[in-house]
Amino acid sequence: MKKKRCFEETFEEINNVQVPRTLPLLDHIDLCEEEDGVVGWPPINSWRKKICHHHHHHNSRRGCTNPTNYVTVKNGCGGGSRSNSMYVKVKMEGVGIARKVDLSRHHSYQTLIDTLMAMFVNEKVQGYKLAYQDKEGDWLLAGDMPWGTFINSVQRLKLLRNGN
Amino acid sequence: MAYSFPEEVLEYVFAFLSSHKDRNAVSLVCKSWYEIERWCRRRIFIGNCYAVSPQIVIRRFPEVRAVKIKGKPHFADFNLVPEGWGAYVYPWISAMVRSYPWLEEIKLKRMVVTDESLELLSKSFKNFKVLVLSSCEGFTTDGLASIAANCRNLRELDLRECEVEDLSGHWLSHFPDNFTSLVSLNMSCLGSEVSFSALERLVSRCPNLRTLRLNRAVPVEKLPNLLRRAPQLVEFGTGAYSAENQTDIFSNLVEAFSGCKHLKSLSGFWDVDPAYLPAMYYACTGITSLNLSNATVQSPDLVELIIQCPNLKCLWRERELIEDMTTQVLDYIEDAGLKALPSYCKDLQELRVFPSDPYGAEPNVSLTEQGLVTVSAGCPKLQSVLYFCRQMSNAALITIARNRPNLIRFRLCIIDPQAPDYLTLEPLDTGFGAIVEHCKELLRLSMSGLLTDRVFEYIGTHAKKLEMLSIAFAGDSDLGLHNVLSGCESLRKLEIMDCPFGDKALLANAAKLETMRSLWMSSCSVSYGACKLLGQKMPKLNVEVMDERGHPDSRPETCPVEKLYIYRTVAGPRVDKPNFVWTMDEDAVLRLS
Repeated sequence: MKKKRCFEETFEEINNVQVPRTLPLLDHIDLCEEEDGVVGWPPINSWRKKICHHHHHHNSRRGCTNPTNYVTVKNGCGGGSRSNSMYVKVKMEGVGIARKVDLSRHHSYQTLIDTLMAMFVNEKVQGYKLAYQDKEGDWLLAGDMPWGTFINSVQRLKLLRNGN
Repeated sequence: MAYSFPEEVLEYVFAFLSSHKDRNAVSLVCKSWYEIERWCRRRIFIGNCYAVSPQIVIRRFPEVRAVKIKGKPHFADFNLVPEGWGAYVYPWISAMVRSYPWLEEIKLKRMVVTDESLELLSKSFKNFKVLVLSSCEGFTTDGLASIAANCRNLRELDLRECEVEDLSGHWLSHFPDNFTSLVSLNMSCLGSEVSFSALERLVSRCPNLRTLRLNRAVPVEKLPNLLRRAPQLVEFGTGAYSAENQTDIFSNLVEAFSGCKHLKSLSGFWDVDPAYLPAMYYACTGITSLNLSNATVQSPDLVELIIQCPNLKCLWRERELIEDMTTQVLDYIEDAGLKALPSYCKDLQELRVFPSDPYGAEPNVSLTEQGLVTVSAGCPKLQSVLYFCRQMSNAALITIARNRPNLIRFRLCIIDPQAPDYLTLEPLDTGFGAIVEHCKELLRLSMSGLLTDRVFEYIGTHAKKLEMLSIAFAGDSDLGLHNVLSGCESLRKLEIMDCPFGDKALLANAAKLETMRSLWMSSCSVSYGACKLLGQKMPKLNVEVMDERGHPDSRPETCPVEKLYIYRTVAGPRVDKPNFVWTMDEDAVLRLS
């Protein structure tokens, strides 16, 4: 992994951030490696998904840079699809279940960090570094490059314990 | 009167009753019929492994030879049931080993099967003949090796869409050299390459082999060798169906396929090279079932192949529709391909069209509601439909309903949740309403698109034979759920995700739940308090709350539960629950997390 500035240096305010108690974007608990949208929708079993993914190998859809159009609708509210959403998987080291975050709702690292704090509110988030996997498959520490560049190359996120 | 009729005669008569419903009815006539029937029942079907315990089954039916058990709820197929939920087969196998030494058949669906279970069964049942595992998981190829090595009288080994930990292909080589009884082998879900010479020898020495479904790893150039050794095959699944361009492969394939004069079913076709498809034409005249759902072939080639199968339809056996005996394609077939279908396959009974790119934002193929409308108009025997598409209209649904009142299964998935009628932008209530109104024998319905409480009014009023209903992102209020529970007299399974249904309808219709096999509700608005109440009121139900946020006691009672699975049972609360499942019963309030 390429060495960049560590998490604390980039995001010194982390430990002081007020963690929101409600969980904003967290309807997408991801239990399946290949899941690209709402869990359980569309109703396709894992066998069929494998075939679909094989089709799109050449379309460079690995790691969903584009479209999931689905929104979990609760209590009858909301409706229709959101295009341009940009869900990427977030895995926290030591936590079994991966989550997903919609990067299209963020315009800075700060709001992203806030959201991740909220996502993993039950874990001890102090002392973690945020890393991301770029289009080439390399893992890099987040925070160095401008947000726009980051958004264009991020495939997935990982929260790593300090000391790695 | 019953006592003047010799038991042996009654037993002989009962032997002609193969349906479980009939057997159950017979057992209710009087005590002596109950006794006679239970001693001569040979086949058991358990629709929910937690509805009854192995001990209860064995106590009542001491002479069983064939068992079929289903485990996880259907929505487990779509990743809605977390790992570790349950449905372990081991307790069943260990109980049956003691009490059914002559067991011949085990068929399991959505259960967790370990290598230990497979080894135990292979060593304990001396006359074991049939193992069918559908959508099961938890075992490795080592478990398969035990089956191969020890089941000397094995006839069927059928693995359908199982998650097998594939350690190696070596398992196949464990069939002994004097093993010749194989009739059916389906290894299509396995990844590893098996020893091809072992496979060839196996096929050669089993003269009764009628079904052979290979896995992807068997290359197309090996197919002729196998087919030549088994010209009696009735069902065949290829492996990968492409190769480096070699002309002799093609001619070998043609020769081999033309030697198979009994083929009725074809499947497989991974990585299809359309150039090789015509090799099969000689085998196609008798084909009644075609599964091309792995085939990423474009429409014209697909249609060409289907044209070669004038007898395409599907078969019924007893009451079970065998999933492979259908026409299954990816949506590459497009509207144009579907248009051709009625001309060439007039006898089509079941059609399944799967999406090639369900996650793409834009449609990648020209498949719309028109394809389904055309098939519904042109295939008078069409009774079962599974169709994924991106647009639908009420007009199309009404047309389909009027064309095909003989539909018994209608599963429509419009990929965008809550998509309205694309022509009028209205909900699809009237369309689905027409389906339930015209198709009076409808047994199974899955809906999608924009749907209000209205559609449930129609369903409650008309869908009197409906046994299974699947709903997602639909309805406005509890009235919707209430209409279904109070109106659908034959309802056995109801599964709901992401609908605004809460406590009222559920509590008002609690008694209905005892007449059903199960109810699944996830991401709805049923409160923890209501679940507790239901559990207290209904001792014959297991009301299971599933929540990965921790014990529901740590949240207010009004907080909705993540997932709810309710099923009737005579076995009490289950004892193998993981730490994210709780059974609501009288003790729930007192129990600590």
